[in-house]
Amino acid sequence: MAETKINIGPVHPSTHGVLRLVVTLDGDTVKHVEPHIGFLHRGVEKLVETRMYMQSPSYMEKLDYVAPISYDEAFVATVEAALGIEVKERAQYIRVIQLELQRIASHLLWLGTAINDVGQLFSVFMWCFKDRDIILRLLEEATGGRMFYVNMRLGGLNRDLSPGFANHAYKVLDYLEHRIKEYGSYLESNPVFMERMKNIGVMSKAEAISMGVTGPTLRGSGIDFDIRANYPYYVYDKLRFRTQFENGGDCFARYKVRMDEMQESIRLVRECLHTIPEGDAIGMPIRLIGPQPKEKEVVVKRELPRGEVMMYMVAEGQRPYRFSIRAPSFINTSVLQHLPRGHRLQDLFPILASVDTVLADVDR
Amino acid sequence: MDSLITTMGIKIASAIQGVLGIAQSAAINYGIAALLVGIAVMIIVTIFDYLFGWIERKLVAKIHLRHGPTRVGKYGLLQNAADFLKLFAKENIIPANANRLLFLGSLPIVAAIFALSAEVLPLTPSFYGVDLTLGLLIVFVLISFVPILIFIAGWASGNKFASISAQRSVMMLISYEIPLFIVIASVAMLAKSFSFISIVSAQSSLWYVALMPLGFVVFFIALLAELERPPFDLREADSELIAGWLTDVGAPLYAIALFIDYTRVFVGSMLIVLLFFGGWNGPYLPPSVWLAIKVLAVAIFVVIVRATTPRMRLDRILRLGWIWLVPLSIINLLWVFLLAIAVV
Amino acid sequence: MKIKSDQFRETIERLHDEGYTYLVKITAVDWKDRLEALYFLRDLSTGKEETVRFDLPLKAPKVPTIIHLYMAADWYERELSEMFGIEILGRDAKRLLLEKWDGKDPPLRKAFEWSKPYQGMEPVKFAEKYNEPDKKGKKGASRQNVIKIDKPFM
Repeated sequence: MAETKINIGPVHPSTHGVLRLVVTLDGDTVKHVEPHIGFLHRGVEKLVETRMYMQSPSYMEKLDYVAPISYDEAFVATVEAALGIEVKERAQYIRVIQLELQRIASHLLWLGTAINDVGQLFSVFMWCFKDRDIILRLLEEATGGRMFYVNMRLGGLNRDLSPGFANHAYKVLDYLEHRIKEYGSYLESNPVFMERMKNIGVMSKAEAISMGVTGPTLRGSGIDFDIRANYPYYVYDKLRFRTQFENGGDCFARYKVRMDEMQESIRLVRECLHTIPEGDAIGMPIRLIGPQPKEKEVVVKRELPRGEVMMYMVAEGQRPYRFSIRAPSFINTSVLQHLPRGHRLQDLFPILASVDTVLADVDR
Repeated sequence: MDSLITTMGIKIASAIQGVLGIAQSAAINYGIAALLVGIAVMIIVTIFDYLFGWIERKLVAKIHLRHGPTRVGKYGLLQNAADFLKLFAKENIIPANANRLLFLGSLPIVAAIFALSAEVLPLTPSFYGVDLTLGLLIVFVLISFVPILIFIAGWASGNKFASISAQRSVMMLISYEIPLFIVIASVAMLAKSFSFISIVSAQSSLWYVALMPLGFVVFFIALLAELERPPFDLREADSELIAGWLTDVGAPLYAIALFIDYTRVFVGSMLIVLLFFGGWNGPYLPPSVWLAIKVLAVAIFVVIVRATTPRMRLDRILRLGWIWLVPLSIINLLWVFLLAIAVV
Repeated sequence: MKIKSDQFRETIERLHDEGYTYLVKITAVDWKDRLEALYFLRDLSTGKEETVRFDLPLKAPKVPTIIHLYMAADWYERELSEMFGIEILGRDAKRLLLEKWDGKDPPLRKAFEWSKPYQGMEPVKFAEKYNEPDKKGKKGASRQNVIKIDKPFM
């Protein structure tokens, strides 16, 4: 059969952003996929070099608009490492609580959109969005913002948790635990869904390492690696944290890792709420400038919902001299060149969904 | 044609002829009466489409934990009217590399085919357009034309997504037509007729769904695929092919496409009710009410299937058709053959 | 690990054999008098990390490709070549990955023309302001304002 080239994106219901895929088809079989990125490139790395440290977190939040707190925290942690600022203990707990809540929210959004891409199952999409909204409201109570928070300050936070937060959070967590279990059992007992996810886009252990994928995509290939466990930060080493991983390497394994991670995050938040110490959690106001380092080079790693972010910063006085982000979505998107090859055109979309990219993060 | 409307039609026809001073002729009477019945059926189809559109939106919204339309009219009942007005008020866009005639022509023809098949379906024992002895076959022949026309429409729009969708449509056609026709053959064998009226009257004591449950399951799945409702909606797979064969279609034609969508659900539900659920047979209530209840129940079930099933993959659909449905329909045919022998 | 640029190839091959099979990131820093390329490597089984760094000249910098060892290097090398103007030897890394611009300098070089750094925010000295009481005379944690959400959660 003759080869056909079709152009998916930059505006397409399944790319969730401005990703363009030039797909070469042989009949219904994908022969070659070439991703084109950069439609959302804003030059953040350069932009940060011109701003003072604490002016940048709001840019960072817009990089991954699905999980803004996580990026915000990673950047503030980088600045803290560069300036040598200690984070207050209560603030560490609150940060972990917010990060894990954000992870659940992000994975819920992923679940909804991925199921919709896999099979037009809009019901799960709506349910997930409803549940995500509950978490957003909880985060709103904790930080004051619904979508974008800018709540992290050097050494702590802008806002301590409100007095009723713990009670609300327990309620929400109980509800979510039940709901996520229900979604899991509902989807995994659906033969059509399993058929669409199993043995699709298989990535072996060696391939996953060589391709450099991160996060749930890496753990879905049977690699027990999580920054939270292998390079623990904050109070993660005090918590009972187990890395979730699956051996399948296919779309279903990546789905399963995320589902398990949500349950694990619920557990972590509960544990944090139980053990959180009293005390001060408020950080330095934005306009304060701490000690000004001279050419100090720091590398900070954080586990984001989408994978590992590595921030490299050369701090010089009031501004970064050089700032570079290893964006998790960037490297996960590059996998799209290899994974769909030989699959049907319809399988391209579960694969695209299963690596979970946010295009703002890819382009930076 | 002995129903109220048809007798009224004949009276009106003779009155018109009296006024115009033309000689009475049975052929003209028949023609005018058929026209009136046709218009009445079209009105019923439109009412069903409208109601079904509303029910689908509301029911799917309920399953999604949303509200659905609430603003236009009571319970959003006028939302569909507003949407249709909006769509028809918009400009029709024809892509530069489209074949104009086929692009503009194929959609109305598809709509006409579904309307025509609705005319053949009897609505009560005394209210129908035409009772053809081969009505069942006519309906399926008409429906089988649709994928071909959709292939033409997809190809004519000059869009790659549309042509991929059209190819899928034809693939589905060849794999689902066969089980569908085998099941129809078994129904006709049991009723010893291709006429809907006799098929329904043969079910007055026992519905065919009780006699051949296997046949019903095969028929329902194959009909969902034939009508391309989810989970077999590969043609309009909107997370993959944007809108499939409708990708380049402008607003007024899209309104026609929506009409087609709803009408084919009407035709499909009618067929299921007439062939398997005893048509208008039922105690106490008048036949038309029974038919309406049954048709709406089937339509609601189709909507629930849409809201709860992910879309299948093309090769799996073809495998389901060839490996499961064709053998099962043949087994069903044999079963009906034995049944017919036993009854005789 | 600081090396000379001509040792790069054998170093990275040696590290790959030693188990550093995971490439975290390739980036570079423009130190105004030279470029420095950084290769962040990791051994996933033990968690050991290694950073390979070497200097490159500002004019016509060249590095050999490592795509045969690390598939992840594909996009990083393309990004490096377009953001820093570093030529990747041994592969075609020419297509623009992130952006298209018509300036002379690669965008992440310090010589790239750029508007003046933003000056809108006045810095305040660290020691003066921190822990200074606010208008109501409160310090530290009590400065926060509690948000109440009236709407029920579920």
